[in-house]
Amino acid sequence: MKQNKIKQGVITGLTFGLIFIFLILTGFTQVGSDMIGNLLGNFEKAGAENALPVINLILFTGLIGLLMGLSTSKANLSNTWLASLLNSILAGLIAGLLVGAVILVTGSFHSQGVDFRNYLPKLGSEQMNYLLHYTTPLAAGTTYLITSTVASLIGGAIGKAFRQQSWTAHSMTWTKNTVKNIGKKLKLGQSPQRKIITILGLIVAGGLLYLLPLVWGSYWNYTMGTVAIYILLGIGLNIIVGFSGQLVLGYVAFFATGAYTFALLTAPQPHAILMNVWLAVGISVIVSTLTGLLLGLPILNLRGDYLAIVTLGFGEIVRILIRSDLLTFLTNGPKGVTNVVQPSWLGKVFSDVNYTHFLFLLVLIALFIAKRLKDSRTGRSWIAIREDQTVAQATGINTFKSKLLALALGAALAGLAGALFASRNQFTGPEDFTLMVSVNVLCIVIVGGMGSLPGIVVGAMVLKGLPEILRELDDYRLLVFGALLIAMMIIRPQGLWPAKKVSLELQRKDSLGDNIQEVEP
Amino acid sequence: MINKIKELKITWGSAIRVIVGSVVAVYLIWRVVIITFGSGEFGPDTWVRFLITGLVIGGIYALIAIGYTLVYGILFMINFAHGEVMMLGTFAGYFVLEALSAMPAPGTDANINFLNAQPVLSILLTFLAGAGVSALAGYLLEKIAYRPLRKAPRLIPLISAIGASIFLQNAAQLLFGPQRRQYINPDLLWRGQGWMIPVSGKSVMLTYTGGFSFVLSILLMIGLFILVRKTKLGKSMRAVAENKQAAALMGIDVDSVISKTFIISGILAGSAGVMWGIHNGLFNHYVGFLPGIKAFTAAVMGGIGNIPGAMIGGMLLGLMESLGPALLGLDFQLKDVIAFAILIFVLIIRPSGILGEALTEEKV
Amino acid sequence: MKPPAIQTKNVTKRFGGLTAVDAVNLVVPESSISSIIGPNGAGKTTLFNCVSGFYTPEEGEILFFGEPIQGLPTHRICKMGIARTYQNIRLFKEMTAVENILVGQHCSMTNNWADAIFHDRRFRREEENALNTACELLDFIGLSGLGDSLALNLPYGAQRRLEIARALASHPSLLLLDEPTAGMNPQETEEMKALIKNLRDQLKITILLIEHDMRVVMDISDKITVLDYGVKIAEGIPSEIQNNDKVIEAYLGPGTAKMTEKLKQKNNNYA
Repeated sequence: MKQNKIKQGVITGLTFGLIFIFLILTGFTQVGSDMIGNLLGNFEKAGAENALPVINLILFTGLIGLLMGLSTSKANLSNTWLASLLNSILAGLIAGLLVGAVILVTGSFHSQGVDFRNYLPKLGSEQMNYLLHYTTPLAAGTTYLITSTVASLIGGAIGKAFRQQSWTAHSMTWTKNTVKNIGKKLKLGQSPQRKIITILGLIVAGGLLYLLPLVWGSYWNYTMGTVAIYILLGIGLNIIVGFSGQLVLGYVAFFATGAYTFALLTAPQPHAILMNVWLAVGISVIVSTLTGLLLGLPILNLRGDYLAIVTLGFGEIVRILIRSDLLTFLTNGPKGVTNVVQPSWLGKVFSDVNYTHFLFLLVLIALFIAKRLKDSRTGRSWIAIREDQTVAQATGINTFKSKLLALALGAALAGLAGALFASRNQFTGPEDFTLMVSVNVLCIVIVGGMGSLPGIVVGAMVLKGLPEILRELDDYRLLVFGALLIAMMIIRPQGLWPAKKVSLELQRKDSLGDNIQEVEP
Repeated sequence: MINKIKELKITWGSAIRVIVGSVVAVYLIWRVVIITFGSGEFGPDTWVRFLITGLVIGGIYALIAIGYTLVYGILFMINFAHGEVMMLGTFAGYFVLEALSAMPAPGTDANINFLNAQPVLSILLTFLAGAGVSALAGYLLEKIAYRPLRKAPRLIPLISAIGASIFLQNAAQLLFGPQRRQYINPDLLWRGQGWMIPVSGKSVMLTYTGGFSFVLSILLMIGLFILVRKTKLGKSMRAVAENKQAAALMGIDVDSVISKTFIISGILAGSAGVMWGIHNGLFNHYVGFLPGIKAFTAAVMGGIGNIPGAMIGGMLLGLMESLGPALLGLDFQLKDVIAFAILIFVLIIRPSGILGEALTEEKV
Repeated sequence: MKPPAIQTKNVTKRFGGLTAVDAVNLVVPESSISSIIGPNGAGKTTLFNCVSGFYTPEEGEILFFGEPIQGLPTHRICKMGIARTYQNIRLFKEMTAVENILVGQHCSMTNNWADAIFHDRRFRREEENALNTACELLDFIGLSGLGDSLALNLPYGAQRRLEIARALASHPSLLLLDEPTAGMNPQETEEMKALIKNLRDQLKITILLIEHDMRVVMDISDKITVLDYGVKIAEGIPSEIQNNDKVIEAYLGPGTAKMTEKLKQKNNNYA
């Protein structure tokens, strides 16, 4: 019994200790401390030895300790105060000892002049000094130990206090109920009211989408443009993966096809076709749709994960071919295509504001189309295929045709996104189309919520927008990304904004003017 | 009599397969003849060289492919991060070799480092480290990223695996830096040296590292085969692959069998990773990516879930990759394209692989 | 004379060395309720799968109102008018009940993706009709009001009935029911029996069912076919099957027919 009581603390301590060591070795402690420094405004280097403020690092350590304490208290809801705090202290001690030991060992080597940089590039001399708080290894190690323990204790106490109070639980349920009630009222209230609210909301949103690009400057226009392009890609892949359930990992191939078709048709090099921009966009969409059809014909009957790996292979083939000597005459090889034409309207080239507006408009249209497709015979057949392909076919759906249509539509959107991408960057090269693009888009679809259209917007904002804003974290973006994907699948596989079901039966009753009765299932 | 004729009923699908298959085969044979005797571009010695390269690399692919097949056979999931597990093994081996080369040998003069004083022991230690780290990585991977998703729809663990792959790749980059590193081999296994084999008047080199890798991969495969066929663990692995619930009812600890499967795959992948380092020398954190995907190709080609299939598939893929560009008259930079094209081709022509799938999934 | 709804001629299906269905001849007259019974592993579901197109029999012919259907893809067979349910319920779990029925109407609808995007009048009218039909079907199976809950949240009996509604939505002339009352309590079973009878009497649908519950089979079947080890061992009206020695032996083991005969005599003697 007693063993079980302290087990939680030991495990949490070990986990957090190892995570902290990992953060030290990847240099994140430095970045994290700098960010804290940014917040506190004491980022300036000071002192004779060009030292960074040590307090930031200690605060960072404390932050980790705090989190650790909170997570120990979470697991021991039924424990007494004493046991809970004991657990927190234990976790803090263990983590502190682990980290302290690492600091002690590396620090001692460092003070003897050993250079780790060859093997662990984030442990250079400067970083080591900072990690050692500009003191001796022993002193620094002890500081880590103390900070971790104290912070964990505080975290544990806070966590316990919050969980002890029944008011927190009460307020939680209260909030939930209120939200539910408001939702119910909005849903069940008279139709005219609901319509007015919807229309007002649309007007405000539309106004914001129009006004914001005018005021927020070119950096934001660029960022939000990227997000918009990824939303387009997300909508396309969502048709394939989210609606019809076919895991396609080579989506980038269609994106690349669109971008290259557009670039080669409009750029002066290497072909000098110099086609009209809008015509070229149309042709790009058609070409990538055809690519989708051609790829889909032989492979769409493959089982789920085979399909994934085949399409992944296809994506890589396209990229390798684009940059190979074999096709250099056509694609300009690894150098890529430069001076891709920007779109224009009535002889005027799009400014970045115009471009952002244009992209937003396209996103709205694409969302509208996808929404309408979803609530139709076509969309229902896709979702049926996703749920159970065998039964879907036995219910009369020509599954092959249906899947092919999904792939073609998805490819068309990717082609459009590709053409826009190339024209906005005025450049396209093979390295724009690595596997990571496919994975990124897939993550947008999944993090947002499979099959959910608002989810894609949220997903693209989170995955493409946030990293642009948090530039300091650029190096760690993919790392976090990977961890996020795993965590997401375990904690919330349905996504941030899961798809919502339309209440068709209720709608019909509404329109028939029947009495609304709610039946609890 | 009539029945027999009916049994030979030809369907469109099979007819197309046979026709395409034979056309390809005839074309390839014709290419070999043309290249060797017609244009004289490649002599027999070159073919032998390609053959050796292909077998060596094929052995490495086979080891990784077995990992995919084992896991797929049991969990029906593509362990997308398997290539990264191999990459961690490559790094572990590298660090051990670095440490050993910096260490003075006990009892001899200071000029000879431990690596060259005790080459056999050093190599053994390197492989132990590589296999150990990869086994640990595989074990943790399953425990953290896959186990909570055991009952989820099949897409979910695959995405988790993609996440794990991205995480591990970037963790390695952040920890060890993005630069390319080079394995230090003991003098006994120095890269670029080897036995000379005379072929039609010219001599072809079989490098020491190549021969070593090939023999070792064959030995590991035999070991695995014995493990799966003859031991109790192997029997319970096959039982779990067949039917998890029934296996659990028979008293088999399914979780532990799955963990052990990941450990075994990790050991094989780690060994493959160290072999890769010893044989090729240069590597960085991307080292696992392409071999990973290609090994999966190999596993599919041999028939997923089928261990001998994975071995044969790996060897075949290695051979096709080294012989393919020459056979098809393509540039060598397109060898990856060939590998992927083969994958697509195999899946279209014969989705169950060369030796057939060993899966027990209900089809309806 | 009009051909029967289903006629199988020497249908044989093998899995490797195992012959799951061995030269079975079966005739299902139009507007009848016919049952296939037999011990576990007798090949009942395999025969079902052959008729609904999941499997292609190695030998023999399956005629649906005189037209051969063996080897056709399942969606074509569905379109011709054969619908089915499954032994282990296979609804589209993440779709609502109404949506499940709407998917069932796939064949009888014609709008395509372009119509969906532009919402033309044809599309709107068709979708409205489909929704009306779906709600009527919900009413018919007694699930109105539950139409907007996800299929997986419905109670077990309701899921079974929803599966039938989905099958009915394709306006079939033949309905294959695979153990429609499996796992139901006596009351639900009675309701299901009434429902099946209704289907035949009101909607004039021919019904072929697999069932283990003998009370159901004997009560509602016009004709019963008994399979054992893939071979048809008996066929006839319920009272014939009840007293067929071969059937009793198939269920209870060899020699039991004689035993039951003796027991009956004994009972008679006592009486």
